[in-house]
Amino acid sequence: MPSLREQWRQRLTFQFVICCGLGILLAWSIAKSQFDLKALLSSGPRFLEFFSRLTSPNWSVSELIIHSMVETLLIALAGTFFAVVLSLPLGFLAASNITPKWVYHPVKWFLGFLRSIPLIVVAIIFVIAVGLGPFPGVLAIAFHSIGMLGKLYAEEFETANQGIINAVKGTGATWPQTIRFGLFPQCIPQVISFTLYRFEMNFRDATVLGLVGAGGIGYYIQLYVRAFQYDKVAVLIIVIVAVVTLIDLLTFWVRKRIA
Amino acid sequence: MAWVVELKDIRVCYGTSCVLNVGELKIAPTERVFVLGRSGAGKTTLSQLIKGRLKPSEGSISVLGHSRVVSAKEERENQRHIAMIDQEFFLIPRLSVVNNVLLGCLGRVSPGKSLLGWYPASEWEKAEAILVEVGLKGLENRRVETLSGGQRQRVAIARALMQDADIIIADEPISNLDPELAEEALRLLVDCTKRRNETLLVNLHQPSLARKFASRFIGLSRGRVVYDGPPVSFTSDDEEFVYRGNENGKGSSKK
Repeated sequence: MPSLREQWRQRLTFQFVICCGLGILLAWSIAKSQFDLKALLSSGPRFLEFFSRLTSPNWSVSELIIHSMVETLLIALAGTFFAVVLSLPLGFLAASNITPKWVYHPVKWFLGFLRSIPLIVVAIIFVIAVGLGPFPGVLAIAFHSIGMLGKLYAEEFETANQGIINAVKGTGATWPQTIRFGLFPQCIPQVISFTLYRFEMNFRDATVLGLVGAGGIGYYIQLYVRAFQYDKVAVLIIVIVAVVTLIDLLTFWVRKRIA
Repeated sequence: MAWVVELKDIRVCYGTSCVLNVGELKIAPTERVFVLGRSGAGKTTLSQLIKGRLKPSEGSISVLGHSRVVSAKEERENQRHIAMIDQEFFLIPRLSVVNNVLLGCLGRVSPGKSLLGWYPASEWEKAEAILVEVGLKGLENRRVETLSGGQRQRVAIARALMQDADIIIADEPISNLDPELAEEALRLLVDCTKRRNETLLVNLHQPSLARKFASRFIGLSRGRVVYDGPPVSFTSDDEEFVYRGNENGKGSSKK
């Protein structure tokens, strides 16, 4: 058995090697991304020019943009709803304290698989499958969210206090009753919190779905940017920032209430 | 005599280490058994075994006339008749007091309706009566997380009473309370179980307090029963033996 000082030295050496490895990886990633500080610093005037074009918004498109913003919001809402409906049972099946190994291992793997597909790829697939419009957007949002929500729900279920579950089971409760009263009340606040976070993310994601024809405000973003109509882009940015801020405030308030 | 608990040649082992080794132990109906012993003596293991949360490595156990090798349905039915008050209470913090108490009736109400939080009127009335009995009237709709330690203890007792069990097991139920509250809580538990003719099994660290309420002491040391008899016969030597494993003290069985 090595002495305490020797063990400490070994740990220190190990940490040093890990830090060196991470440093090399970081340096490589920066070099590979052709990071150019000079180019960044000299881009100032171009940024200024771009933002100066945004200073005079063209409000004539506001009705159209608000309409598409509502559509984006509804895509995010419906997508999140379907994701929650499917993620709850999947998260439940992926929780190692509830289901046996042969169930939770494949379900966890499946959730990981869902998470690994980028949203834009999912959206393109659904546009090809069901056509243009908000419907493929809803499907893409739902599909993409299941992987993450299922994982988060499962992790929350896994941290539930087993003592409370045993106490409920000990009253002679059936398995569904034990889950309903022993598990869910413990996890509900976090489940709601995760869902709200995901809704916020889904709303931001939904704003770019239009780029591939899956509905929402993204369609107008690419339309006006490509046409160099920055006065209209300015309205888009203002509306998106306003709605995102509003959603952030609202979800923050709800999370605070349920905490 | 019909025993409510019968243990024979029970051993509970983890690998090569045995935490409980009991030759024979029987508990009669309505007894108020206080199990004494140091931390790690096997008190919790014994109570978990009787509750059915643990299976013995060897030996036979029968609780309320049922052996422990039963179907899942019978096991659930057995659980219903044995209420447990854990050291940490294990209440559901976000639920109200009355909703926590109502959990005690889950074993006898319709599973479908109870999943929606719907309980028969008779269960509501029963819960209300129990809350009055344990002194929680007026706090019915308070969330458990907002209650003091003593109040939570009462909720845990109320939930156990709501279960209408034949045996109530309390595992160090007063370890989180100050001495005054502890005695009060223990008195409440004993009085309520006496009124219902329920068998009570309490794990406790304080022999002086246990003397006031027990009809029988079981002293455990290193997983073995070293004393089994009435509290009046529990001498300071026995206490020394149970708590300090003093070689000068002697274990005895005075049943």
